[in-house]
Amino acid sequence: MNRNVAIVGGGQTYHAARRHDVNQVEMVNEAIRAALQDAQMSIDEIDVILISNMEFFEGTHMTDCWMVDGCGAYGKPGVKITTGGTVGATTICAGAHHVASGLFDTVLCVAFEKQEEGDTGAILSGVAHPLWGRSLAGAAVGYFAMMGSSYMATWGAKEEHSAMVAVKARQNARKNPHAHLKLDIGIEDVLNSRMLAWPIRMLDMCPASNGACAVILSDEKTAKARCKKPVWIRAMETAHNEQFELDWRDVTTKRPIFSKACSSRIYKKLGVSKPSEYFDVFEIYEPATWAELVWYENLGLCEPGEGFKLIEKGITNIDGPIPVNPSGGVLSTNCIGASAMLRVWEAALQIRRDAGRHQVPKDVHRTLSTAYGGTNWTVMMALSKTLDD
Amino acid sequence: MSEQSKQEIFEVDQHLIAHSNYFAGKMGSKFYTTLRDKKKILGVKCLKCNKVLWPPRKTCVFCFSELTQMVEIGPYGTLESFTLVTYSEPVHPRKAPFVYGIVKLDGADTGMAHFIDEVDIDRICIGMRVRPVFSKERNGNILDISYFKPV
Amino acid sequence: MARKAQELISIPITVDVPYRFAAGSYLTRFFIELRDNDKIFGIKCPQCGRVQLPPRIVCAQCHVKNEEWVELGNEGTLVAFTIMYFPLTDPTTGKPHKSPFVYGSVRLDGATSVLDHFIHVEPDMDKVWVGMRCKLVLRPKNVRIGDLADIQYFEPLEGQKRPLKQMTQ
Repeated sequence: MNRNVAIVGGGQTYHAARRHDVNQVEMVNEAIRAALQDAQMSIDEIDVILISNMEFFEGTHMTDCWMVDGCGAYGKPGVKITTGGTVGATTICAGAHHVASGLFDTVLCVAFEKQEEGDTGAILSGVAHPLWGRSLAGAAVGYFAMMGSSYMATWGAKEEHSAMVAVKARQNARKNPHAHLKLDIGIEDVLNSRMLAWPIRMLDMCPASNGACAVILSDEKTAKARCKKPVWIRAMETAHNEQFELDWRDVTTKRPIFSKACSSRIYKKLGVSKPSEYFDVFEIYEPATWAELVWYENLGLCEPGEGFKLIEKGITNIDGPIPVNPSGGVLSTNCIGASAMLRVWEAALQIRRDAGRHQVPKDVHRTLSTAYGGTNWTVMMALSKTLDD
Repeated sequence: MSEQSKQEIFEVDQHLIAHSNYFAGKMGSKFYTTLRDKKKILGVKCLKCNKVLWPPRKTCVFCFSELTQMVEIGPYGTLESFTLVTYSEPVHPRKAPFVYGIVKLDGADTGMAHFIDEVDIDRICIGMRVRPVFSKERNGNILDISYFKPV
Repeated sequence: MARKAQELISIPITVDVPYRFAAGSYLTRFFIELRDNDKIFGIKCPQCGRVQLPPRIVCAQCHVKNEEWVELGNEGTLVAFTIMYFPLTDPTTGKPHKSPFVYGSVRLDGATSVLDHFIHVEPDMDKVWVGMRCKLVLRPKNVRIGDLADIQYFEPLEGQKRPLKQMTQ
């Protein structure tokens, strides 16, 4: 990177199933004011405002234009970003590009979804090609259900392993005041929940949440002068996968899968040989439990097919040697536009030791956040405590 | 394999139908319930800018202050601009011809878009004074005002 | 001070947008062959040799033009599946599919890409498995319109039994 970029502040709303008390811009404004407060900055010090959400999910286009007042964007440069479920993270990537380029010093990145307001099933079907598969649009559940059935058939994992992931996520969420699904559940509760699309049950799947997240980025000089605990963005990786080819749900596929390829690329950039030792915390994008097990393998935390053994042994618990999603993850909070940004922000909180009751006990110097969507278009971001980490 | 000289052109008609539900928030709800129940129009005042904004909102677009003071505006207003729509689209709320105008209600610094009715098109002019005509059946949305007409 | 909770207003809006999509020359040919000649065609990349479905002009991996049309068989292997319990709405018709139903990804013999569709089998874990051999069933010719829905479903080939061990190499 031309210039170093730091996260100097951030904020999020208390994510919930219902937010009837606020309209879209008011909800976003909550996260923005929290971020400005956290960074101890005023809106006038922000050079650029980038905003993101899932396109048309709330039944309104050009949400950036409709939110100028609540975002403090009047007269300022900035664009809207839409990259599907990854958008929260790609907005931070875009923000980092703005700062690293040397053209701007301080960028406000905002991501949100007021999911209850829109017809997400209908709009999501618009992601499918109109002439190839839209009539059969399986929704995210069908998608990940196929991944789960492929995983179980190939590696011999059981439904209990999926339940273990569901339990870990919601029990972690109970320690996170901002999380949506704070559920005191056990494996039996998951296995008794309603079957949606075999093998995915209700509790194996993410919720639909209303929420927003905002993160403020700045250049090194500003970060060192103004921020007590800057968190450094050390590497980013994004990659598109080919359209039509959805066989990344087939766990035996030999084709390039970008959730795997991006991790190799980012590890090469950073000189990582053992990711489970190099990174202290992982915040990964798991809309369904099976996705998490596949992430363990795609990130090289274990061999292919061994993912379910990691969860079985508790290795990825909040107090385990490889903590994954101490925040509760997407399984506990899914305001889609914001979810990928929450992975980065929650990772930053871990580095700052500001995660409160969901802070991992071990020392945190380096984190890795991930997100993917649709065709397996993937984004990853590595953060660190100091520039020497 | 050689292509036929005339190839069938394949076009497919589809519809995308989505139902959304917009929540107005607390301030928006106060605006709509006051319109519906009291036939009064509210704006919001920014004390820092000394401006009254319509529609009412919780953040001032100019200075980013948090706004809380709702004030009654109108009912009379001045027509700032207007247009006569002479073609019909399925998405239009009315069949052409109809008039849209921007009305700056007394006391407000920004305008409201609405229909202008009960007036001949050649008699409409910028600067004209207008007043709202409320609907008999009001449901808590902007069409609780049916249209504006000349005073 | 106890007071009635504030009434919170919401405004329902329905957006109904009509579209007319152009299929393009390759998809047009695919659908005409399906509709009129009962044939499924893939397209082969001259460089990597992948047989892609749907046929497309450029191989995304090699950045070269695809020109070799390959007729595929109507049998294939089930690569992944799910039993859908909640009634998914077909967004092009607005009507829900009748649940529970099975749908999955089938790799037709000769193809590299998979095809997602309904699997015409009892939604019973003993009757459907990864690796099951299936065959394509088309709708009667007189109701076909030139769409993937001209494929009615995949159904399992006769005489198969669920293997005892599901692990694959």
